[in-house]
Amino acid sequence: MNAARLETRRAAIRPDWWSKTLAGVLAGFALAFALSGLFAFLTAGGPAAPNKFQVTMWFVAPAWMAALSLCFLFRSGLRAWLWLGGANVVAWAALYLCHRVAA
Amino acid sequence: MRTDVIRIYKEVHTWTAILAGLALFVAFYAGAITMFKEPLARWATPPGTRVHEVPLERTPELMARTIEARPEVAQQFTLVVDGHEATPARLVWFQRGQVGAAVRGEVPQVWSASIDGSGALQLRPEQPSQLAELVDVLHRTAGIPGDMDIGMGFMGIVSALYAVALVSGVIVLLPTLIKDFFAVRLGKNLKRMWLDAHNVVGIVSLPFHLIMALSGVVFGMHDLFYDAQNELIYREELPQYFRAHSPFVPPPARSEPAAMMPPRQLLDLVHARAPGFAPTSMTYQHAGDTAASVLVRGTEPSYLLRTQGYLLMSAVDGSVLNSYYFPGERNSWTALASSFFSLHFGSFGGLSVRWSYFFLGLAGAFLFYSGNLLWIESRRRTARRDQPAPEQRRSTRLMAAGTVGVCLGCICGISGTIAAAKWLQGRVDNVAVWHMGLYYAVFLGSVGWSFLRGGAQAAVHLLWLASVFTLAIPLTTLLAWVFPSLGLWAHTSAAALSVDLSAAIGCLCFSWMALATARRVRHGPADSVWSAHTVTGPGRA
Repeated sequence: MNAARLETRRAAIRPDWWSKTLAGVLAGFALAFALSGLFAFLTAGGPAAPNKFQVTMWFVAPAWMAALSLCFLFRSGLRAWLWLGGANVVAWAALYLCHRVAA
Repeated sequence: MRTDVIRIYKEVHTWTAILAGLALFVAFYAGAITMFKEPLARWATPPGTRVHEVPLERTPELMARTIEARPEVAQQFTLVVDGHEATPARLVWFQRGQVGAAVRGEVPQVWSASIDGSGALQLRPEQPSQLAELVDVLHRTAGIPGDMDIGMGFMGIVSALYAVALVSGVIVLLPTLIKDFFAVRLGKNLKRMWLDAHNVVGIVSLPFHLIMALSGVVFGMHDLFYDAQNELIYREELPQYFRAHSPFVPPPARSEPAAMMPPRQLLDLVHARAPGFAPTSMTYQHAGDTAASVLVRGTEPSYLLRTQGYLLMSAVDGSVLNSYYFPGERNSWTALASSFFSLHFGSFGGLSVRWSYFFLGLAGAFLFYSGNLLWIESRRRTARRDQPAPEQRRSTRLMAAGTVGVCLGCICGISGTIAAAKWLQGRVDNVAVWHMGLYYAVFLGSVGWSFLRGGAQAAVHLLWLASVFTLAIPLTTLLAWVFPSLGLWAHTSAAALSVDLSAAIGCLCFSWMALATARRVRHGPADSVWSAHTVTGPGRA
């Protein structure tokens, strides 16, 4: 009874199937790429470490799939886009910095 | 856990799993069989391997005489170290039909060289069995016809759906995980029993499935990932990184002749370097040149190797040119990347891991099959007391027919095309096309039959068909042994006989399943798509 009332007060999660799925597929994909770039630059040896490029490529799959499968936890599609979009801005800015420092 | 989260993820799980389930069934069933790709290739290869005509000690002579007869072979050829039924001779090479850049989909002709009893050099074109390769193609494309890239791209998307289905399935199960985990409640509530079985298989093999889903995404989409990373991370320098430390990039020829170190001596150097490493083949590039190299491939079950380990050596003095993929000498990045491949291929730990992967693969196929059954069961219209059984929904009848047709059609198709292997060899021109055609004919016929007769009855028929086709595999071997005049063959190596034995056991399993399903169809509750009493065909309104 109490739990049920609490539930309504917290406002149920909106399904927002299309916007959440697109956020996971597109924004999640872009985020996974930026993170894989940070992985390449910030772990031992940098992007040129022998055969590290393979691990860097494999990195994309779990990062992308984590974003895609967990994005339905966001309260709404708009929030999914805002959070993932914000994370993208931060990650891509950091990757840009890495390129600048390495150059 | 909030109930609305559970509700949303239940829907995510249903949708992703329904979309991916049938393709995953095909990929897992065929994938389980590819664990024994080599035994299958050995079983399907006609007798006549000449690999033992030339012992390793005599390979310098074989190499010299082959190159004398066919100078272009010096560019690249392979010496077989670990010979068996499927390796035609001690020395093999690929000969392309035309000169110039490689064309996509071009299949080069395999040639082999041996020295017969009278000391004469024998060169001949080979027709290797395509059977094991076909099962692997089915595994990688789920049977999507056309270019391999289309099928593998399709499986990349399917794998992404599969990854989301796994995570959502675990989220849905979390609140009741402790309560449900060790419980498989057999009894009247069939849906409960199937759900318990589905959950226990899913949770117990979750690490295996996560590996398969994520590596499936990579195998299907790596070109896309690499292309994007080449632009965004490597400033277009990725092709150089690819070549820089690859054992598959031999040094270029210098056009100065040099004497080759005998292969036996090279193998002794490899053995001294790593006693546990078992070489299977040696690929020469630019033999006879000062820059000649040899790529030694081999296995070492105590390492997570990509599929095998590789050592690139100078063929002149045996000095090591590249050991980035040699067990014990890989840097941590190479070892890590190799372990991802190895965990997908089950190429570690030897036979026990292969059998574990085989059963995990079959359990995975069961997971997708039982998931579809649950979808049907939760949409079932049950009969009221003393009322006649109601008509089931159209959607559940179609889903039942589709699930039965695709899953059992795949099983029948694979067994049928394996059973045909020994009969096709030497009787038709293009064996590979026949193998593919047979698979598709049986598969599509099964799907059609299932929609025509309804899932319930078709399941019984197709299980018997699977049983008969699977029995035909060892039966062919038995016939070959009893009637040699048929022109078939029966290899007696443990690897080849284990194919026959496994098929015989498989036949018993399918027969038992057919009997159990027939009982359900005849005597089970009538208010179900699995009863013969209400369903005559999905077309009935």
